[in-house]
Amino acid sequence: MPTTPSPNPAEPGTTGTEEKVPFHQRKAAKVDRLAELMGDRGDDGHGAGIWREAFQRMRRSPMAITGAVIVALFVLIALFSPLIAPYSPTSQAWGNEVFPNRNEFVGPRGENWMGLDHLGRDMFSRMVIGARQTLLVGVVATLVGFLFGAVLGGTAGACSVLGGRWGRQVDNVVMRIIDMMLAMPTLLLAVTVAALVGPSLTTVMIAVGIAQIPIFARLLRGAMISQGNREYVLAAQALGVRKRKIALTHILPNSMGPVIVQSTLTLATAIIDAAALSYLGLGNPDASFPEWGTMLSEAQRFLSSAPSLAVYPALGIIITALGFTLLGEALREALDPKLRK
Amino acid sequence: MFMKSSRKPLGLVAVAASLALMATACAESDRGDGGGEEQPFVFAAAGDIASLDPFLASDGETFRYSRQVFETLLEHESGGSEIVGGLAETWDQSEDGTRWTFNLHDNVKFHDGDDLNADAVCANFDRWFNLTGAYQSSNNSYYWQKIFGGFAENDEDHAPPEPRFVSCDAEDELTVTIEVSEYSSLYPGGFSLAAFGIMSPTSLEAMEGQEITGEEGNPTLPEYTQVPGTVAGTGPFTVEEWNQDQGEITMERFEDYWGDPAGFETMILRAIPDENARRQALEAGDIHGYDLVAPADVAPLQEAGFEVPTRDVFNLLYLAYQQDHEALADLEVREALSHAVNRQRIVDTILPEGGEVASQFHPDTLDGWSPDVREIEYDPELAAEMLAEAGHEDLEIEFCYPTEVTRPYMPAPKDIFDVITEDLQEAGVTVEAKSYEWAEYINQTDSGNCPLYLLGWTGDYNDAYNFIGTWFSTPNSAWGLDDEELFDKMEEVSTNPDQEERTAGYQELNEMVMDVLPGLPISSSPPSIAFSGDINPPNVSPLTQENFAEASWK
Repeated sequence: MPTTPSPNPAEPGTTGTEEKVPFHQRKAAKVDRLAELMGDRGDDGHGAGIWREAFQRMRRSPMAITGAVIVALFVLIALFSPLIAPYSPTSQAWGNEVFPNRNEFVGPRGENWMGLDHLGRDMFSRMVIGARQTLLVGVVATLVGFLFGAVLGGTAGACSVLGGRWGRQVDNVVMRIIDMMLAMPTLLLAVTVAALVGPSLTTVMIAVGIAQIPIFARLLRGAMISQGNREYVLAAQALGVRKRKIALTHILPNSMGPVIVQSTLTLATAIIDAAALSYLGLGNPDASFPEWGTMLSEAQRFLSSAPSLAVYPALGIIITALGFTLLGEALREALDPKLRK
Repeated sequence: MFMKSSRKPLGLVAVAASLALMATACAESDRGDGGGEEQPFVFAAAGDIASLDPFLASDGETFRYSRQVFETLLEHESGGSEIVGGLAETWDQSEDGTRWTFNLHDNVKFHDGDDLNADAVCANFDRWFNLTGAYQSSNNSYYWQKIFGGFAENDEDHAPPEPRFVSCDAEDELTVTIEVSEYSSLYPGGFSLAAFGIMSPTSLEAMEGQEITGEEGNPTLPEYTQVPGTVAGTGPFTVEEWNQDQGEITMERFEDYWGDPAGFETMILRAIPDENARRQALEAGDIHGYDLVAPADVAPLQEAGFEVPTRDVFNLLYLAYQQDHEALADLEVREALSHAVNRQRIVDTILPEGGEVASQFHPDTLDGWSPDVREIEYDPELAAEMLAEAGHEDLEIEFCYPTEVTRPYMPAPKDIFDVITEDLQEAGVTVEAKSYEWAEYINQTDSGNCPLYLLGWTGDYNDAYNFIGTWFSTPNSAWGLDDEELFDKMEEVSTNPDQEERTAGYQELNEMVMDVLPGLPISSSPPSIAFSGDINPPNVSPLTQENFAEASWK
């Protein structure tokens, strides 16, 4: 079984050739490849069982299981954080015990499992509550990207398939704009948006979300075009079903698969990007409420005397992002017919 | 002085700059071993300068540069706050304190070869007094307006105050008499301000007709303030190059200097906004000294063989209550909030060693400090009770703090903000955090948009008026304070020529201010400055007015 599939170097768009093409083309190629996947189904006789089969394959993949366990743990901690955290994350109850001006910090101890931060707040409680913030930002940012991306990509795709010459023009214009956005590194785009709107948690969600729009748009549009050539669309057209109805109730639902897979992958990047924005000071200005990126940036000042203050949030970000990436990649591989035996 | 930093557009720029600087700080230093005479001395400041002409500036970074290049009639003693002669060897005041006579040093040359004489000094004062147009905006002549009031012809648009300056006369070759309209405790301290550095007559002629253009609040300064070549002073260094992209200003030793020549042939002031990046640059040998050392870095740097002298305490950090805010107009609310803040904890855990809780708007190292002001104890329960009594038990309030900045009186603004926020919340206040980048922060707090905010002050010269007078002498939007009684008393005391009566008056004023409680004085703390081991550092000044000509290679 292809638990660790080797990429096919002859196939454009797979990992083997990625190093040679420019970054944004590589990103675009990866997105397009994912969009094709759904179009190919049915040809090899698997039909509607594709999700079930993918699940079967993922169950045997250690990568997928590791990812799923991490993600599940993270989500559980985030959801039940108020119950798990022993103290209030903002309470400076031990404020008289830490002296940042003299490099005197309090490490892990019975009362405070991860020690105290530079203002005498319980590090463990901050990490746990911070997980919730991180999940919230990740999910909302992904939703923003998903919604706007789906509207743009869906319009472009539907126009291209059903709109005739005019439709293709519309598709062309929309997609060139999307390509321009795609050519910009996501973090740079997000920083620009955040700097324009001003620092707040909402800004981070919007900024990261906007940076994800082109990926979702291109993905959905690709999937819809590949659906557009199929017989059932032709049949519906022959029966005189209205174009809008074909797009919304026939093509769109059949094209959502790859977009959903992408969402998992996007969550990972969204978490990293959000942490990066917070780290750069574009996040919530009230940093007393914990967020891993902000915690990391605050801890930087004390790196030489209290490295653990930076290590905890950094590990949190790394492990969570790894979990989502592993799960997303495994899902993508499981769904890719080219990698199936 | 506020030490306003230069007008940078957005946090983004600062972020990018500090990232870039951090990257360069990591690079290996290409400096050879041992300091040679020809090697430039590089000193890192927190910000770039604003103008080559200090008259237009009000920020400490510009004055740090201008003190090396220009000299003033009077100065502060090296490493202290006593006023001593600068360009003037001796000086005298008339009985009523309105005529000030200065006897200038002989054989003093400007960088462009002009001689310093009484006419040259008066040319400077006459130029300042006769400035017109946008020069009269308080942004562009802040200290002139503070010390000498308005201009020969006050421009209605900018509405400067009535002029206090009357005339400047050259009695003979080396004797200058400056007349002011009334005695004020602003003098003689005002003559020592770096903003009034004396420039050569030739350079003054070249400046003529160069105007400030652009909008109010975002002015375009004239070319002579941006490109070296025009301005010429008498100081131990000449200004050679100002690279604004790098935030770097290069100065050369002035060989014909009248006093002791500078210890360095070349001195470079470089702007490194990030505190950590400054320390790393020093550790890597890229720079040979920097200002505003984080309290936690002092001991490790000393252990690593760096010289980290600490300045004497001459500053004040306060929490302002802007009284245009409805709740803050109520004295009981202001008292309640003051009882809620644990100032001792801020001093113990955040400020550098040697910091003290301030009992009044006045450091205790200065005449006029009163031992009899009312004490404000830390008592969170009392605070909550008082808020309830005043009918504000669920007070919601905006609280502003500055980002990406450290000041001599405020080493870690964010930490101090966090501690106070937590204290206020303990007392039942809901705090809404607002943060601004420094230049914008000054604008916002100045115009009264922040009900609660943190700010401070480093003294310019040794007089009480430079502290309480700066804040509480006229109605202004920064405090939203309108207390006729206090303002009248301030006016009366500051124009009293008798030193002893004045000191007693300032003590009373300090007591009055604490009864009115326009804000909560938090602390006075000693800022540190760091030098590499191969430097003989200059005497450090409580006024942050170091003279770098005193420093040299070991």
